[in-house]
Amino acid sequence: MALLELKGLKKVYDQGKIEVPALRGIDLTVEQGEFTTIFGPSGSGKTTLLNLIGCLDTPTAGTILFDGQSLGELDKKELALVRRHNVGFVFQSYNLIPVLTAYENVEFAIRLINKYDKREIRDRVMGILKAVGLEGLENRRPNELSGGQKQRVAIARALVKEPKLVLADEPSANLDSKTSEEVLAVMAKMNRELGTTFIFSTHDPLVMDYARRLIEIRDGLIAKDQRREQDAVLN
Amino acid sequence: MSYLLKIAFKNMFRSKLRTLVSIVAIAFGVMIVVFARGLIVGMVDKVFADHIHYNSGHIKIIDRDYQMRERLLTLNYPVDGLGGRGVEEMIAAMEALDKVELVIPRLKFGALVSTGDKLVSMSGWGVDPEQELAFTDLENKLVEGRMVRPGEQAVVMGTALLKKINRQVGDKVTIVFNTAFGSVKGVTFTIVGRLESGLKLLNEMVFFLPLDQAQTLLEMEDQATELLLVASDPKLVPQVLPEVKTFLAAAGEAGRYLALSYRETSDLIPLMDLSELMFSYVYLIIVLLSCVVVVNTMIMIIRERTREIGMMAALGLEGKNILQLFVIEGAFMGIAGSLVGAVLGHLITAYLGKVGFDYGEALSAMDAEVLFDTMFYPVASVGNAVFAFLLGVIVVTLACLFPARRAARLQPTEAMRAGQ
Repeated sequence: MALLELKGLKKVYDQGKIEVPALRGIDLTVEQGEFTTIFGPSGSGKTTLLNLIGCLDTPTAGTILFDGQSLGELDKKELALVRRHNVGFVFQSYNLIPVLTAYENVEFAIRLINKYDKREIRDRVMGILKAVGLEGLENRRPNELSGGQKQRVAIARALVKEPKLVLADEPSANLDSKTSEEVLAVMAKMNRELGTTFIFSTHDPLVMDYARRLIEIRDGLIAKDQRREQDAVLN
Repeated sequence: MSYLLKIAFKNMFRSKLRTLVSIVAIAFGVMIVVFARGLIVGMVDKVFADHIHYNSGHIKIIDRDYQMRERLLTLNYPVDGLGGRGVEEMIAAMEALDKVELVIPRLKFGALVSTGDKLVSMSGWGVDPEQELAFTDLENKLVEGRMVRPGEQAVVMGTALLKKINRQVGDKVTIVFNTAFGSVKGVTFTIVGRLESGLKLLNEMVFFLPLDQAQTLLEMEDQATELLLVASDPKLVPQVLPEVKTFLAAAGEAGRYLALSYRETSDLIPLMDLSELMFSYVYLIIVLLSCVVVVNTMIMIIRERTREIGMMAALGLEGKNILQLFVIEGAFMGIAGSLVGAVLGHLITAYLGKVGFDYGEALSAMDAEVLFDTMFYPVASVGNAVFAFLLGVIVVTLACLFPARRAARLQPTEAMRAGQ
C-alpha cells in the first residue's frame, strides 16, 4: 500500500478580494521508503504541497490518503496526533529551541509521543545523535553548534520517533556545500537503514543528486515526475 | 507536562532583563497589596477594638429612652437592674448566661472644670477599675501614675485634658456636675494618673473615677447608665444576643432595656465593612496594573517566538499544550514576583506595625466622639502575605491566558512563515 495518495489536490489562498491558487490539481502517489525531491521555481507550490502532506494545512479541494487514512476526515487535534506520531520535519532554519541542549531538543519530540520510559528515551536519543554524528555534542545548546550540526540535530529530532515520513523544506539552504553534502548523506543513510520515506522541497542541485525520484512543480501542477534506479551520488 | 514545565522554566532566562522587569513589577504590586491590606486590617481591627472597649462591649444594654439622649449624658434613664433591684444583681444574673464572660457597668455623666477664665466641659466615666483594666487596653495608655481605686476620690485623665485645665498628676481638681436629681455639686478629686491615647475621646474629653464614687456623688446607688456585656468570643455575639434578649424578656424588662450588638452601635463599622470591600477591588487593580508589564512581556515573547510556536505545532504539540507552555511561563514569573513581593511586604508591614503612623495632625478636626485612633499600626500576618502571594500568582497567570491564547490559535503554517 502506498504511504501517500494525493488526488485532485487543490489549494487556493484567499487574500481579501483576490484568490491565489497555489496548487491546481495534484495527483501523486508516494511509496514507503522513497527518497523524493520536489523542485521548481519560487511560488510554484512546493512548500504548500509539503504543508498539506505534513498535515499543517488543509486543502481547498481533493483528498490526501496518509497510510490509507483520509486526512480530510480528521479534526485539528487528530491532525496534530498524525504529525506527532508519523511525520518528522526538517526546516531550512533548523528551528531548534534555543534554551534546550541538542539532547533535549531531540528528546522533546519523543517525549510528546508518551510511549517510552525514561531509559528507552535516553537510549533512543543517544542512538540517533550517534547515528547523525553528534556523539559528544549532546549537551551543547544550539548557539554552541555550527549550522551543519544544528541541521543534524533537526534531523535527529525528526527521526527519533521513527516516523513513516520526513518532510524537509530546503534543508540545505543555509548550509555550505560541504556541510549540505554531509547532512544529505546522513538522511540518505537513515532512508536506507530505517526505510523512512523522505520528501524534500529544494532548489539545490545537490539535493536532487541524492534523490531517486524527482518531481518538478510549475504553476501548481506536476510538470515532470521522473524516477531513477540509482541516485547520482551513492548509487 | 513535565517537559512543558522544563521548557517554560528555561524560557524565563532567555531574556533575563525582561523577565527581571516583569518579576519586579509583580513584586512591587504584591508588596503594596500586603502593606495596604496590613494597614487596612490594622485600621479596621483598631476601630472594632476601640469601639468595643470604649463604647459598646460586645453587647450594650441601655434604657430604651437613653439611646436617643446618649450624647447628652442624661442621668434620667439609668440601668437600675431588673425590676429596679439594682445593677449588681442584674450583672450577676447576666454573667451566669452561657458564653458570657463579663458584664461591665459604666456610669457616664457630663461635668465641668473652671480654669479661671474659661469652663472646660468633660465626660465623667464611673467605672469598676479592675474590670476596665482587664477588658480594655487602658493599662497601656496609662503613661503616668496609676488607675483609680474603689472608694477613693480620685480621677485619671488624658494628657490633652490635663493641659486644657492646667493640671498634672498629683494635683487636685474641682469638678462640677449635676446629680441625678438635678442639683449642682462640686467635688475636689486628686489626679492619680495620666492617659496618653490616639483616641481624642480619651485624650481630651473623659476622666475616669471609681464607680462607687460616681454612684454616691450622682445619687445613683447601684445604678449605671450602661452595661457592657463581653462574650467569650466576639464571633459568638450572634448567638449570645438572642439569649440576652430572651433573658430580658423573661425578666419582664424587654420593653425597657435594649440589648444592642457592637455592630448596631457604630457608624464606623459599616463604613469599615464597605472600605474592606472597596479595598478588595483596589488590591485587584494594583495587581492587574502589575500584570500590564507581564502581559506586555508575554506579547513580545510570543511575537519573537512565533516561528518556534509553528515548529512546535509541526512536531505535534496541540494548541492547548502551547497555551499551557506560555501560561506556565507567566505563572513562573507570577510565583517568583509574588514570593518576593509577599516576603518584602510582610517585612515592611511588620516593621511599620511596630513604629506605627501618626495621623494626629490630619485628624485633629475630627469630633472627639468618633472613636478613631490617630495612630495606625499595620498588622503583619502570614495569612495576609499568603493571600497577596496567591492573588499575585492567580491574577498574573490568568492575565497570561490572553496572549497565550493568541499563541495557541496560530496556524502552524502562518507561524512558520513569520519572520521569513
